[in-house]
Amino acid sequence: MANNYAIEILSVSKIYRTGKTEFKALNNVTLKIKKGEFIAIMGPSGSGKSTLMNIIGCLDRATSGRVIIEGEDISGLNDNRLADIRSRKVGFIFQKFNLVATMTAQKNVALPMVFRGIAKSARDDQAIELVKKVGLTQWATHRPNELSGGQQQRVAIARALSNNPSIILADEPTGNLDSKTGVQIMELLSALNKEGKTILLVTHALNLTKYTSRVVTMQDGEVHEDV
Amino acid sequence: MMGDIFIMSLDAMKSYKVRTFLTLIGVIIGIASVIMVTSAGDSVSYYIAEQWNIFNPTGMVIGTGTGGDVPQLSIRSIVFTTTDVENIDKLPHVKNVAPIGVVPIKKLSLREGFLQWQDTPGETMYATTPALLEILNLKLDKGKMFTEGQNEIVISKSLTTAFGADKTLDVGSIIYIQRIDQVTLKAKVVGILKDEGTRSYGQIAAPSILCPSKPYYSTYFGSNVGTVLRRVTAFTFLLAEATDTAHVEDAQQEILKYLDSGQSDAKNYIDKSSDFVVITQQYILVRIEQVMSVVKTYITAIALISLLIGAIGIANIMFATVTERTREIGTMMAIGAKRRDILQLFLYQSTIIGLLGGLIGVILGASGSIVVVDLLNKNIQSLGGAIATGSIQVSYSYEWFFVATIVGILIGIASGVLPARKAATMDPVEALRYE
Repeated sequence: MANNYAIEILSVSKIYRTGKTEFKALNNVTLKIKKGEFIAIMGPSGSGKSTLMNIIGCLDRATSGRVIIEGEDISGLNDNRLADIRSRKVGFIFQKFNLVATMTAQKNVALPMVFRGIAKSARDDQAIELVKKVGLTQWATHRPNELSGGQQQRVAIARALSNNPSIILADEPTGNLDSKTGVQIMELLSALNKEGKTILLVTHALNLTKYTSRVVTMQDGEVHEDV
Repeated sequence: MMGDIFIMSLDAMKSYKVRTFLTLIGVIIGIASVIMVTSAGDSVSYYIAEQWNIFNPTGMVIGTGTGGDVPQLSIRSIVFTTTDVENIDKLPHVKNVAPIGVVPIKKLSLREGFLQWQDTPGETMYATTPALLEILNLKLDKGKMFTEGQNEIVISKSLTTAFGADKTLDVGSIIYIQRIDQVTLKAKVVGILKDEGTRSYGQIAAPSILCPSKPYYSTYFGSNVGTVLRRVTAFTFLLAEATDTAHVEDAQQEILKYLDSGQSDAKNYIDKSSDFVVITQQYILVRIEQVMSVVKTYITAIALISLLIGAIGIANIMFATVTERTREIGTMMAIGAKRRDILQLFLYQSTIIGLLGGLIGVILGASGSIVVVDLLNKNIQSLGGAIATGSIQVSYSYEWFFVATIVGILIGIASGVLPARKAATMDPVEALRYE
């Protein structure tokens, strides 16, 4: 497959209808993201950046247009197929970490592999490896409420890596962290990018763009490429 | 993977122990009730079957009390004379009849030497005739029955050691019986009954001493014969047996007809507000079954209501859990969970609750059955079951243990379906946004 792109968004629109009013969250957006890119999507609240990320992450469907993830057209796939693509190709990182409160750090990291159907011994090996990679080996058996915000986000990053996806979607990953911890998290993402992961960062914070290779700005459901 | 999601469900429940327990209660009560009903029902059926097999199904109690559809014995009036006993014995379908006269005794004494006595408190002593043995299915271990008019008694096996293991009473032993009217009578043991265990005869406690009316029994003490001035020997009630099981009702009717006719002495002595009552063994068993069916109806109602409440409780808690974990559900979907996985996650939880409720309910119900059977045993006594022997033993219907556990699981599944569906059909984007 002579395809250079990790993500191709082709004339995608997303329209929400409530009663008679229509809201265009995405208006005929076209965006191509190359493999190995570290791209920041910026813009004010309601500009459509979260909608775009949800569509790329296969959580939401476009009203029209085509979305191609690593050469695979996901437009019109059913829920199960979308879940499968999420599981294999995409890792999510959230602003509020979204760890499962009743599980230890290591079990949280292993969770995507559970849904993928990977055997327990292989899961454990991979989870231990990833917990080590984010520097939390000694916290592996702790639950999220025993961890600091930065530690929780590291667990979340390890979890995003657990099925070894090529694309990482990070939605305001430093939004709930102090600036020093935020820097550490960004450096971690930067290192992952250098390992070859395509990273899509949704943020308000302009100072984070120094870690990224490309910045696009969204406004009223449209994408404007920064130079 | 199903196993992994099952373990995740267990882990989640461990984190909400109190909630899980509260959810269990309804199911536990429901299942426990089901087990109690079935076990008690089985115990009673078993008891009734046993009664027909081992006890004299032709037996009946003749007494006074209130007649009608639900006759009740009372033991207040002393009306049946020896003449009545003789006449009833002659009725065509009566095989045997024996009077029961309670001899109230203060103490029994054993003479150990000159002016040396050992006492033991009063025991149950009945003045009767040898026919009683056959009616009550009692057997002599050794010796013979007493002779009317002689100072002779027959004692139970347990009474032989009443004065101590080293002074065992045997055939030929002499004891002294002091009645509550202070009269002391000499008695020679002529027979010893076979040990009948803890058998009791309803209102008639298992007899320790059987004796002839003369010389031991007198209706002057504790009697309300009142207007009777001549010395007459009269009894509170009589035990009888019919010739065979097919003629129990005939015998019953003959006896009632005789007693109500002018020929009987009892007719002269009975007070006007009382009726003659003949309660048959069959009647007692029917009454036990009636009581049982009432108990069954009530407990079944409780069981159904509890199970319904239990199911609603599970559904309610599961809905709350699903709502509370909305963002977690969204997260799981984002990291690759399929809708089926989410459905399983919650369905397993409610199923486990149902299973646990079923198991705990079975254990509690099995214990509760002991209490129910105990209550039933007390009821037999009040049913005038003078000739119902023994007591109901708890017998479990084990297949119901299995059925009840399955019912618990099904309730868990049924009440978990809607909440689990709610979780599984969530829009992941909405769920992730949930605060």
